[in-house]
Parts: sequence; C-alpha cells; structure tokens
Amino acid sequence: MDHADIRETFFTECEDLLEALHDGLARIEYTLCIGMDAETVNTVFRAVHSIKGGAGAFKLDQLVRFAHQFETTLDALRAGRIVADPALMGLLHRSADQLSDLVQVARAGNDAACPNLLCLTHELAAAAGEDEDNGDSDAEDFGFSPLSLDLDLGGSDLTSGSNGGRYAIAFSPTRALYACGNDTSVLLRVLSDLGRMEVRLDRSRLPDFDALDWQESWLDWQIILETDEPEHQIDEIFEFVEDLCRLEVSPLPEDMTLEETEVGHAPEPPASTVAGPLKKPADEGRGSAPRATVRVDLDRVDRLINIVGELVINQAMLSQCVQDEGVPQRSPMRGRLDDFRSLAREIQASVMAIRAQAIKPLFQRMARIAREAATSAGKQVRLVTEGEGTEVDKTVIERLADPLTHMIRNAVDHGIETPELRASAGKSETGMITLSAAHRSGRVLIEVQDDGGGINRPRVLEIARSKGLVPENAVLSDEETDELLFMPGFSTASVLSDLSGRGVGMDVVRSTIESLGGRVGITSVPGHGTRFSISLPLTLAVLDGMVVDVSGQTMVIPVSTIIETLRPCPADVHGLGSGGQVVGIRGSFVPIVDCGAVFGYRDPVHTYDKSVLLLVETGRQKLCALVVDAIHDQRQVVIKGLETGYGDIPGIAAATILGDGRIALIIDPEGLVELGASPHGPGSEL
Amino acid sequence: MALRDSIRIMVVDDMSTSRGLIIQALEEIGIKRIDFCKDGATALRQLAANPVHLVISDFNMPGLDGLGLLKGIRENKTTQRMGFILVSGTASRDIVEKGQSLGMNNFIKKPFTTDGMRRAIQAVVGAL
Repeated sequence: MDHADIRETFFTECEDLLEALHDGLARIEYTLCIGMDAETVNTVFRAVHSIKGGAGAFKLDQLVRFAHQFETTLDALRAGRIVADPALMGLLHRSADQLSDLVQVARAGNDAACPNLLCLTHELAAAAGEDEDNGDSDAEDFGFSPLSLDLDLGGSDLTSGSNGGRYAIAFSPTRALYACGNDTSVLLRVLSDLGRMEVRLDRSRLPDFDALDWQESWLDWQIILETDEPEHQIDEIFEFVEDLCRLEVSPLPEDMTLEETEVGHAPEPPASTVAGPLKKPADEGRGSAPRATVRVDLDRVDRLINIVGELVINQAMLSQCVQDEGVPQRSPMRGRLDDFRSLAREIQASVMAIRAQAIKPLFQRMARIAREAATSAGKQVRLVTEGEGTEVDKTVIERLADPLTHMIRNAVDHGIETPELRASAGKSETGMITLSAAHRSGRVLIEVQDDGGGINRPRVLEIARSKGLVPENAVLSDEETDELLFMPGFSTASVLSDLSGRGVGMDVVRSTIESLGGRVGITSVPGHGTRFSISLPLTLAVLDGMVVDVSGQTMVIPVSTIIETLRPCPADVHGLGSGGQVVGIRGSFVPIVDCGAVFGYRDPVHTYDKSVLLLVETGRQKLCALVVDAIHDQRQVVIKGLETGYGDIPGIAAATILGDGRIALIIDPEGLVELGASPHGPGSEL
Repeated sequence: MALRDSIRIMVVDDMSTSRGLIIQALEEIGIKRIDFCKDGATALRQLAANPVHLVISDFNMPGLDGLGLLKGIRENKTTQRMGFILVSGTASRDIVEKGQSLGMNNFIKKPFTTDGMRRAIQAVVGAL
C-alpha cells in the first residue's frame, strides 16, 4: 500500500469519524439535561483527534490547526473545565460542520482558506478558556529518555517456555503445483538445509489403483524442523508455490515429536498469525478499513442490475412459452421453472441490495441544514432523526437531497415560529423538527414534521387569490388549501428570505419526488405543526404491477397505487352535468377516469358493466376510479425508461417487456387522472 | 543477519490510516516481520500467544488505550519483557510520566517521519 492509497484510506476513514463526531454531539446534546456521558465525550474527542493525527501525516496544516483547537476545547469539556451549555453545543456543532468542510477541501486537494475558520478557531479557544496554544511540546521536554531493551534474537527470548526454533510444518501440494512443474523433493531438500528435519509422508488419501487419477495430488507431508533460522526463512522456501499448496507452519513446544502431533495436523496453532497458510495475515488486512467491504465501481453494479433485469424478463418469457406449449401443470419442467423464477427474483433482490444505502448520511446533512437555517432565521430549532438505518436505493438518496433540503429549510423558515412567539403560545422556545424514515409495505416513507404554527390557511388562500391561482369566490376545503402550497408560482413568504427563496418551490419538490415514482402529501394542524410525508419506491428498477387490458392494449399499473378493484353495479354509476361520471362506493362518490378514452384508444363509454374499476389513490390523497377492460395478472416488471427515446409522456411512467416479448406501457395513475381532469380532457383531444 | 530482518514488531492502532502509516514506515526501514492489531484487548491476547520483540502502539484507542495496553503487557509474565513504544498525537506531561512509570521504552509524537521512527526504535533495540 503506497502513500496515495493510505491517503485515500484516510479520507474514507474521515467519513466514519465525522459521522461518529456528529452522532456523538447529537447524543451529548440530547442527554444534556441528564448529565454528560463520559464515553460519548471520549468518542467525540477521539474522532477529532484521529482526524488531526491523520491530517498531520499528510501535511494538511489548515486541518491540523483547526482540529487541534477543536480537540483542545473538547478536552476541556472532557475534563469538566467547561460546561456543555446550549451555546457551547452550538459552537461544537458549527465546528464539526467546519471540520467536515475542511476534510472535503483537503480531499479535493486545494488548501483554500475557509472564511470562517479563524473566527471559529478563536471562538473555540475562548470557549476552552485559554489562549490558542500552538502545538504540543515534544516528549523530550518532559525529560523522558528512552529505555533500551536487551534483545537476544536467538528466538528463545520471545516465549517464556522457549521452543528453540522447532516448527511443525504441514505441507499439502495441490494438483496445480505438479502441473506447474514443481518438484516436492527439491523443496524438501532445500528445507532440510535449514536444520535437522524429520519428515513423514502421509499417504492416507491415496485411493485404490483403479480409482487413481494420476494427475491428482494425493500425498501430504508432516515435517518437524529444528532450526536456528527465523520462521520467515521457511516461508521463503515455499514462496514460489504458496498459491499451489496448503502450508501450515507453527512453532512446536520443546519435547513434542511427530508422533504426538495429530496426523495431518500441526499442534493447535498458538496464534493465527503463525499458523495458517503461508501468506501472512499481516499482508492481507494491512491498513485496510476494519469492516470487510469491497469498493465496486457503480457502473459495474448497474450493468449487473441491467443484466439481471434481462434475466428476469427472459425467465418470464420462458414461463410464457411453457404455458403456451401446453406443458401439463404437474410436469417436472414446471417445478424447475418455478425454482428458476424464485432464484432469479432472489438474485435480483440481492443485486438491488448492493445499491441500497442507509439514509443516515443524508439525514446528517439535514441536521446541518436545519442548524444553518435556524441561525440565519434567528430561531431555535432541534432536528430529531428517526430510522436513520433505513436502506434506500443510492439514486433515490441522491435525488432526495435537494427536495429534502428545501423541506427542512421550509420547516425552519415557515413552520417553526420565533422563540418569542413560541413562548407566548406556551411552547418550548426551541422548535422541533422530526425527520424520520421507515419501510412501509414495500416503500420507503420519509416524513418531515415540525411542531410549529401549522399552515396559515387564510393567508395561503389570500395569496393564492391575489396571484390568481384560485378564483376569488372559490371555497376550498382545508386539504385543498394545503395543496395550494404545491402549486407552481406559490410562495407565502412576504419577504423572500435567503433560505427558502432560492427559486425552488414546493412544486419542484413534488415534481422531483414524483419523478422518482414517489408521492408527497401534507397534513397540518393549526398551532401544532405541519407534516410532509414522502412515499418512495425501494428501487427504481422493478415494480409490482397489475397487468391490465385497455381497449386491447396490455398496460401495467403500479400495484402500490391501487387501493381496491371492483366491478361496479350499473346503479352506482352516476353521470355529471359536465359529461363526467362518478361511482358511488360506500357512501362517497369517486370520479371515473376511462383509461381507454384518455389515451385515445376509444371514444368514452358510459356503461361499465363489462369493465373493471381500479380504485387508485393519487398524490393529492384523492381517490379516482380507473376504468380498464380486464385484469390479466399481477407481477413484478422490470422498468425500462422512455425518457431518452420519447421524452416525458403525460400519463405514462415508463415501459416494460412482458413475458411474451411484447412491450407494455406502465401507467402513471396521477398523470392519467390529471390528463382526464384537464379542460381538454377525455374526448376533446380525440 | 541484520536486526531489521529478525526483529518482530506488533503495531497496535484502531485507525487503519495511522496503522498503515506506521507499517509503511517500518517497511521502509526494512523491518520484515510485522504483525498488527486493531485494539488493545486483542493485542494482549495475541501477544501472549504469539510474542514479539517490540510493540508500537497508538495512545488514542477505544476501550483499552495505549497506556492500558502497556500496563497489561507489563502485568503478564509472558509479555512483560517486550519493548513498548507509544505513538501519540498529544504529548502531555501526564501521558509521558504515566508511561514512564509503567516502563514505556520510548515515545514518538505524530506526525512522525520514517527517520524519526527509525531513531525511536533504535533508541530501544540498538542499530537496525
């Protein structure tokens, strides 16, 4: 491992350390009222210290200087010289953010000065109650003098019960060792040069003559070597065949002989570093991250996902063929095919899991956004996160960053009230924003909840009217009013603050989330707060779909959007003056949208006795009944995007390939309903 | 044979970065037999089963820190004669004095150079 590799490892390790730092600070803050947990403070201190240590080795001076001051302040906290009050916690949080920035700057390779750095360093020094100190003194300053050690390197000083350089060696060549032209007798002769050697040949694996594969390796050797040479001399002899044999070298107690060692085994190895294959463990994990992980190029994973997608499609086609050929149900082929299907699914799920990541880093970034937004708005906010371990597809996480940032800023800016207002309303001066993630029935549910004033609906209405978004005389329900927030061109802040007014409105948040196959909803209780709920698919590559027939076209509707399916009784279908229709379901009326008509496959029909209605929920938490002609099947389909070839098609989310090789469009129910409800809706565009 | 060929050293550090840096320095010096460990408790177990001549340990580790490891090494008969060099980012009088009382053989401050590491080791075991 060279210097550049270690440097890269350092930055990877920094990510973990920074995570531990942010975590620790959050925990300290959380437990402020019940006193500080010493171990948590220690963890935080160690994280900063380790970053400093590594940074020093790579001469990242700016980082070292800042980490040093940070560490000094944390040390004061650890020693109880200063107290963790909210002001200090704020400072520590900001310092942690600064440290993250510095690490990022260093990783990018520019040692550009950060503007707030000096200021923050002074603040840290002031908080620690001392002058900025300029580095540590050297050990020599304390009058420390090295203590020399008398080494007798005969090998006997290492253990109290000396073993005088006796080694048990178990040597089992593989077939490949011989195939490569190596001669075991040469190896053994060279080994014997190291000292006195006892050799025993183990022929126990040798089969009868008839069963003998003459190219296979059947012989093993057990050797006891008494030598003055160090152990690595033994390793060197076998260096060229280390991958071609199984070799165990272990030091042997003084008086043990071959007979006492179990046949085929060296005595219980004293420690894993000596026994085991020749390749020393020290070479394997040296300097690598403590967790056993491999870093893989994302392109490779995506290629794999694509191929697995093809495999699943291929499997579906195969099943279809078998079906069409009329293979009897009880035929073994069917059974094998079922196994194939479940295996293909399993592979697919496992491959998808490679792309899944915990949402925690994203949430940690949000904590920082909340802090910065609160500072600049002059509010006190605490962000609480839940379900950070929830795993979500990498792309989903990446594309969620912007909308989530906006929602957090929104919550701070518009949701949480000023401390004075909160106090007068009898609330704690510090507002609370809860950011949570959880898996819910095959989807990921992310919620942003604040305990602020809730949506000021009269104000929202007023603005919407003044901007001409709703007619003057319109009467809107609470839900409809809340929905106005998602309308393009809507912004409630009378003065654009520098936080939310960045040209991104809630409409962009909604469209971003919908482009991920997600939905976003809003609920609000005046005086108690607002909750935004985002529901997202676990992956962007497959989808559980209902395969339906629409005017002879096979189409797919995401099962996640379907609440129920029903065959309407003609008496329940009622016409509306506008030409639209509703169906009465358990006392409420649900508008009917005819898929065939909206997509222009046929003229609108008015009787649905032969059709099936799919009750779907759209993002606006409104129900709608989609008319289809028949339901064929419910199955997992591989999503094939259409954007690159056809652009955005209203009402169509993507396409998929069915088992028989045909292409089916995947319906986007929300878009479809919008299409059906638009003034140029069904009929008029045909 | 030179001492650097035969001396056996165990590096103890929880951070793969600094562990990597120490090992890199040792390899540059030409030391052949290097073991490593990621925490103090495991190090104590390994050292007892599989002794070395010299332990080079970080100070700042979770669980058992560098000085805790030194204390453990000195308390066990099998390991008590091993050399011990402490590596630390902070050189406080407190740490050095405590190390001294526990029989620390040498001390090296981070960041260190390969040369500094060589000197620190040679001060304990003689010419490498």
